[in-house]
Amino acid sequence: MTPLSEHLNLSAILAADGRLTTREDLCRFAPLKTLAAGGRVALCFDDPHLLLRAIVALDGRVASMLLLSGALDAATVGQLTQRAGCATLLTDRAELDGIAGVAGFDRAIGEGRAAQSVQTTWLMTTSGTTGIPKIIPHSLKSLARSVYRFAPADAPTWGLLYDPTRFAGLQVTLQALIGGGRLVVADTHRPIAEQIAGLAHHGVTHLSATPTLWRRILMVPGHRNLPLKQVTLGGEIADQVTMDALRASFPAARVTHIYASTEAGVGFSVNDGRAGFPAAYLSAAPGGTKLKLVDGILWLRPASAAAPGSEVETDAEGYVRSGDMIEMRGDRLHFLGRENGVINVGGVKFFPETVEDAVKAVPGVALVQVSSKKNPITGTLVVAEIQVHDGADPAIVKQAILDACRAKLVREAVPAIVRFVDGFETNAAGKLVRKGATSG
Amino acid sequence: MSEIESGIRKVFAEVWKQEKGTAAPEMKADTVLLDSGLDSLGFAIFVSMLDEELGFDPFTLSDDSYYPQTFAEFVAFYEKYQPRA
Repeated sequence: MTPLSEHLNLSAILAADGRLTTREDLCRFAPLKTLAAGGRVALCFDDPHLLLRAIVALDGRVASMLLLSGALDAATVGQLTQRAGCATLLTDRAELDGIAGVAGFDRAIGEGRAAQSVQTTWLMTTSGTTGIPKIIPHSLKSLARSVYRFAPADAPTWGLLYDPTRFAGLQVTLQALIGGGRLVVADTHRPIAEQIAGLAHHGVTHLSATPTLWRRILMVPGHRNLPLKQVTLGGEIADQVTMDALRASFPAARVTHIYASTEAGVGFSVNDGRAGFPAAYLSAAPGGTKLKLVDGILWLRPASAAAPGSEVETDAEGYVRSGDMIEMRGDRLHFLGRENGVINVGGVKFFPETVEDAVKAVPGVALVQVSSKKNPITGTLVVAEIQVHDGADPAIVKQAILDACRAKLVREAVPAIVRFVDGFETNAAGKLVRKGATSG
Repeated sequence: MSEIESGIRKVFAEVWKQEKGTAAPEMKADTVLLDSGLDSLGFAIFVSMLDEELGFDPFTLSDDSYYPQTFAEFVAFYEKYQPRA
């Protein structure tokens, strides 16, 4: 694919503070000679406008771009930059000054045109809950595969509530850059009500968020002022109550939820505003993807031979095990969660064992079992059941558990509910019996 | 003040202390829940702790797709779905 700058159909990017970046502004920039040709560059910006300018200026002109969230701490930014082999780190964050190769936007990118063109590898990071995130390589072609190109008369106004360096945020960004229309970037440092008022003020028609964020938007007085034509939910299982509430608040909008399988490297969208997806997809799914159910687990075969990751399970016919558990209710297939027990709280995914390891280290804890409990706001919450050593004071142990987990884990993984129990069910091998999500 | 409302205020104060480590702000009838200072996760914990304390969760019981915006609406929502003895 030729560089991103040759595919721009976007008319403008608007910031919450009223700053405007036009297509022409974006195209004015190219890497300066100070940036070694064919080099590897890490990008970590607090201001999404600078990030988008840098992406457009650098795609096709550098060997690879590492996209780092502006929310990462300096130590993690330093380690990821080094691990990706980036000699240069472009940033607007003063606290990153100590990192080798650090430079401001203006030191590496300026007005002008670059002649040479290379295939740039886009390096994205996973949002891990513990330890350093993993680096996953992508290409512009693979990232832009699902972009829909709008006729100028129908060009939408996209709202961006996601971090543009994360997969979901980059999808929205590329859709706007290549597919046409305007992109309104919310200032995610501001309260949600202000962000929504800003998006409404700029006439956002297309908005994508997690079900958890949508429920928060539904609680913003004035959210109905968003002139939405398209409501998209992704990142978590979309439930019927949330989608019904969105349809009631935005009667002119199409309500779409997206299913994406990291394992199979594919996804599909469901546009009828109902939870789950039609059983008919088992014989014919959108986009030519083939689906089948084996023992309640969804398997997918991508239409094109997308290279699945090395750790995925594939059968003789080329189907990839998604790990997503499915239940058939009537003519509808519903998602139940992950077979490996991964807990998803508001779109943040982690293993219960990670939380258990943090809890086990707390003095006074004899046994711990972490599970998920359904919650109408974030989909699920983390529950920790604890058996204490004889003589330990549960109130003190509980506070120590919360302190330890807050120090080691992301907030979503910190147990929301800590229950003390007298004992646990164990199986014949003496192992704790792991329960699924409790419905109570 | 109804029994439900005082229960809600008590649990709100507990969640606030657990999440923020400070005394909870006063909730007035027209306080917008989103302006209370609890984020989505804090609010989720609030609803789950109310379920443990009061024994029901109107968000799950209700068939309406309804999200209360003010504290008064929130209390009324809980009173509406309070199990009848």
